[in-house]
Amino acid sequence: MADAPATDTPVVGPVSAPDDVLRVEHISKRFGPVTALRDINLHLKKGEVLGLLGDNGAGKSTLIKILCGFQKQDSGEMFLHGKPYAPKSVDDARAQGIETVYQDLALIDELSVYHNLFLRKERVHRPLPLLANAQMKREARAALDEIGINIPRIDVAVARLSGGQRQAIAVARTVNSDADIILLDEPLAAMGAKEGAQILDLVARLKAEGKVSIIMILHNYVHVLQACDRVSMIQDGTIALDKPTAETSVDELTEIVVNEYRRAREETRAEQAAGEAS
Amino acid sequence: MASTASTPAAGGPSSAPPRNEPGGLRIGWREVLSRVLALREGSIIAVTIIVAIYFSANTSTFFTGENFKTLLPYFAPLAILGAGEVFVMILGEIDLSIGGMYMFAPIVFYKLETAGLGLVPSLVLSVLVCSVVGAVNGAFVAIVGVSSFVATLGMLFTFEGLSLILSHGTPVATPGAQIHQTTVLVHHVVNGHNIVLPEKVNHVSTFANIFGAGTYSELIWAAAIVLILQVVLTFTRWGLYTVAIGSNKLGAAEAGVRVKLVVIRNFVMCASLAGLVGVLEAIRSQTIQPDPSGPNELLLIAIAGAVIGGTLLAGGSGTVVGAFIGALFLGILDDGLILQGVDANYKLFYTGLAIIVAMTANVYVARARRGHSGSG
Repeated sequence: MADAPATDTPVVGPVSAPDDVLRVEHISKRFGPVTALRDINLHLKKGEVLGLLGDNGAGKSTLIKILCGFQKQDSGEMFLHGKPYAPKSVDDARAQGIETVYQDLALIDELSVYHNLFLRKERVHRPLPLLANAQMKREARAALDEIGINIPRIDVAVARLSGGQRQAIAVARTVNSDADIILLDEPLAAMGAKEGAQILDLVARLKAEGKVSIIMILHNYVHVLQACDRVSMIQDGTIALDKPTAETSVDELTEIVVNEYRRAREETRAEQAAGEAS
Repeated sequence: MASTASTPAAGGPSSAPPRNEPGGLRIGWREVLSRVLALREGSIIAVTIIVAIYFSANTSTFFTGENFKTLLPYFAPLAILGAGEVFVMILGEIDLSIGGMYMFAPIVFYKLETAGLGLVPSLVLSVLVCSVVGAVNGAFVAIVGVSSFVATLGMLFTFEGLSLILSHGTPVATPGAQIHQTTVLVHHVVNGHNIVLPEKVNHVSTFANIFGAGTYSELIWAAAIVLILQVVLTFTRWGLYTVAIGSNKLGAAEAGVRVKLVVIRNFVMCASLAGLVGVLEAIRSQTIQPDPSGPNELLLIAIAGAVIGGTLLAGGSGTVVGAFIGALFLGILDDGLILQGVDANYKLFYTGLAIIVAMTANVYVARARRGHSGSG
């Protein structure tokens, strides 16, 4: 059970710059006996698209959930626009400009497309507390048209949409807000190439506008190199690599993962050997 | 694709019905019928009308004003209980404690009134006590994480037991509901002779008339509560979040909906309404009966009414108006069977069968709806 020497060597540290919109320092998180995040350092520049890679269970989703205020870290600090950032809730994070699209598709099946788009941002007939449905429908339609998402009807329950359409709605939900940081947890999961391309185009368009900064969890290296400015890879609860996509390649990223698998195999073998010896 | 938005089947999946596209101009009776059936309450409206027609045709007394008045006190309390229960059931939870609240509130009302508090303050406080119990129910479910069935079953027995303890199991006259008799002289014409006879006339106080004793009192309460709560469910954030939580609790939480708050709020409302119904019924019947068998039956029938009205026990879907019509259906069934002279021993049996038939019809209509485009 001796620590592998590799983990003691300094990982690629954050290169902080004054224009960082978001900075994460030494974040750790445990769930009972499971350490999800060991020591995460991360930074995001204004207008940047950061791709987050990592094996299943490496802690990517946990990190996203901490960033968006759904869970709280055990230790470490976060800074938003240079100021300490400790969201009390998802609402609080959103009020501070951080919006999230979750991996588990946080859409509400029984609600219509436009109610999903406006969930927690409903328009009401002030001063009455009644929902301004017509206004929400109009705005939802306009927002979807603007970002080029084609949904035939916006007053049907989202349960009746295809996987790709649902994901598009989920992404649109964040775009349709005043957020300046958007977190996308596997936006291309459960998508065909055509729909996936639509989402990547949407991300490219947002990047071109330069108003929002995006952190995106992806599995496909090609997508990362295509859509992101920079890539961070989480391994074993820490950032194992942090590089501009221009300076890395599919080969390098693959190499890291291959090495990880090799190490994991060796550890298992060593443990088995130790078990047999005793 | 966007230009086809006006045809109902446009946004639907490939399971769209193979029948002809309904023309926008020709709206025949078939179209009207299919629109009604496409409503969530559609099937129970149809079934209720059929049952009412059946009893009207088979008994001479069903379709009369007098009978309607006897029907009211049966279904109005169920409609109010059902309205509160719908808000809990859409969350995917259930509240069995309504029977306990129904029994407990009148006893609190009696204790407070006999302790010297006014009628209205006693009523308000007794309902507020139920609100607190509702908050505890909600806290058990939302914060502690006890299943709502278990938590509210415990509360049901606890408060029925507490009711027996506080009342010593003895019935009492409901405060404010006493009948005052005044003697008036009434002129009669008997065999051509004018005679004047003293007659006793019953009066109840305005308080009692408003809170249950008036012929239409409970109906008005039920209609007002159902109307308001249907608006709350369909047109406010509260309703939207209730459906959202019932449909996808984690998703709603991740979107920032304060799930615990909504859950607790709905349990508070459900328990409060049950307490109110308990007091209304005690005033109507003039006695406070500390007997748990009535409330136990009532709570199950109220839930049955909500389910028949199209509210899913699994959550995510339901309507208050549906629960109202479901209660009306059960009321008509009960009343009609009595009028038809069905052996009292068979009544519960028939009621049970009717619930099963109505529920099965609901399932089929719900299936048909999926091919259809309901807008919410």
